[in-house]
Amino acid sequence: MKTFRPNVLRNLPAIAALFLFLAAHAVAAQSPTAQIVGATNKFLSTLDDAQRKRVQFAFDDQQQRARWSNLPISSVPRAGLSMGELNSAQRSAALAAVATVLSRKGFEKVQHIMEADELLRKDAPKPIFGKDLYFISILGTPSEKTPWMLQFGGHHLALNITISGERGMLTPSLVGAQPALYKVNDTTIRPLGEESDRALALLNALDEAQRKQAILTYRVADLVLGPGQDGKTIQPEGLEASAMNEQQRTMLLDLIAEWATIVHDSSPGPRMAEIKSGLNETWFAWSGATTADAGRNITAYYRIQGPNLVIEYAPQPLGGDPSMHVHTMYRDPTNDYGRKATAK
Amino acid sequence: MLGCTLLLLAAVPAGAHRLDEYLQATTIALEKGKVEADLRLVPGVAVFPMVFAQIDGDADGSVSPAEERAYAHRVLDDLSLRIDDTPLPLRLVSSAFSPKVLLEDGRGEIRIELEAEVPGPATRHRLVFENRHQPRVGSYLANVLVPANPDIRISAPERNYDQSSFRLAYTDASAASGSAAWGWPDLALAMLTLGLVVSAWRVTVRTRRSHQALRARPVGDQP
Repeated sequence: MKTFRPNVLRNLPAIAALFLFLAAHAVAAQSPTAQIVGATNKFLSTLDDAQRKRVQFAFDDQQQRARWSNLPISSVPRAGLSMGELNSAQRSAALAAVATVLSRKGFEKVQHIMEADELLRKDAPKPIFGKDLYFISILGTPSEKTPWMLQFGGHHLALNITISGERGMLTPSLVGAQPALYKVNDTTIRPLGEESDRALALLNALDEAQRKQAILTYRVADLVLGPGQDGKTIQPEGLEASAMNEQQRTMLLDLIAEWATIVHDSSPGPRMAEIKSGLNETWFAWSGATTADAGRNITAYYRIQGPNLVIEYAPQPLGGDPSMHVHTMYRDPTNDYGRKATAK
Repeated sequence: MLGCTLLLLAAVPAGAHRLDEYLQATTIALEKGKVEADLRLVPGVAVFPMVFAQIDGDADGSVSPAEERAYAHRVLDDLSLRIDDTPLPLRLVSSAFSPKVLLEDGRGEIRIELEAEVPGPATRHRLVFENRHQPRVGSYLANVLVPANPDIRISAPERNYDQSSFRLAYTDASAASGSAAWGWPDLALAMLTLGLVVSAWRVTVRTRRSHQALRARPVGDQP
């Protein structure tokens, strides 16, 4: 006589597969914002009261919004919780929340930047670098409807992501790397390689008259609109995209997408549409060497500036090879910190 | 994910901060009748001792508020602002210094805010800003903000290669129609016009009187 139990055991793999399928389907059916809110709340649930108090801020906390930098935390202390003070489960939950708010490519870039900083830690005389020194903070209450913000950053990284409905707004954000080129086993990692290569390809696609417009006659030694420069819009210079042909404009948009696609996948569409709508008034300016060694980053500065966009790429000539140390800035002067989402 | 054997392709500088340059970034803002300049100064590690020697006037190793102000004025003395070829005095509005421990490590900064009044009602101006502070190690940035006032329009700025010299032309459409005080050329023109009107009026009155006198004279008196 057959019993029920052996049947269950026999069918266990099928049941488990069905369960996993349903679970995966349920997650997939969730909107990206629901997944972000779920992952963030899950992270918060791993914290004790004291930790929760440290990681959460009011959505309109201006001081916390502006508490970011390219510099190590010893120079510009961050608030929130550092990865180094979280236990393994908390740290996994924190990084899962960050991964959810970013695209797969964006999260990979973040990991490469942190890994580069880990390399600096091994050579540094003081404990001011490394993956443990990246901070997470939450401004406002995670919600699918009302705006809130997730911040994640440390040395060479400052992500300020405002979530408003289905949109994730990544401005202002600083993305940098040092070393900007390293190897893991046999794989070469260039955290900002595409940002360098696509820009050089665009410059090379310009004709002589366009290059004369685009290439500035002066040296630009650093970011102009870096940390502490919120709310400023400088006079644009260089070559306007209205003077580019369609192929060049497509190349410019592909270059801009390197920043616009860091955030989770449902956001770049609307963001790129905004940027396209202002493309005719978008400028491309270049300062410095117009060539680069194969497989290495450019040593030139460039800026892309439009009605709702500022991108700066600034190699750092700080006693070493500028191609190995890069700061980049990504802003929307009309919508930094999700200003539009909260405008009354 | 990446935690395996890591091999650097090139030597990594130990620090992530400025070394042998003195970054001096100026942002200029144009307003009606006024120019504002915001300076951000970041001394590199290698040049900090030289910069600090200028800041620490009594060489006691620490910086007092008076020494900070004195250094801000020293920087100010190395700057020049000209509007329409006329030097304009820059006024120190504020200054803020990062702690010495950060500055000496190439990670701090000095912020200095300056402003100057632009006299006169002219609508077109040529601005020239020059920074000659620590030129041997200076690494300069100079930029102008898009004016918040839509009446002010800027031409493409020009710079020398190291950005220590910055110039642009701008127009302020509100200057002519605004309530700004009249300049001496305007007053002179107004006085001249008034004088001409008064003279014309006197001549007219005299002419009328003489005509009236002629008409009123008795017939028998005529030759």
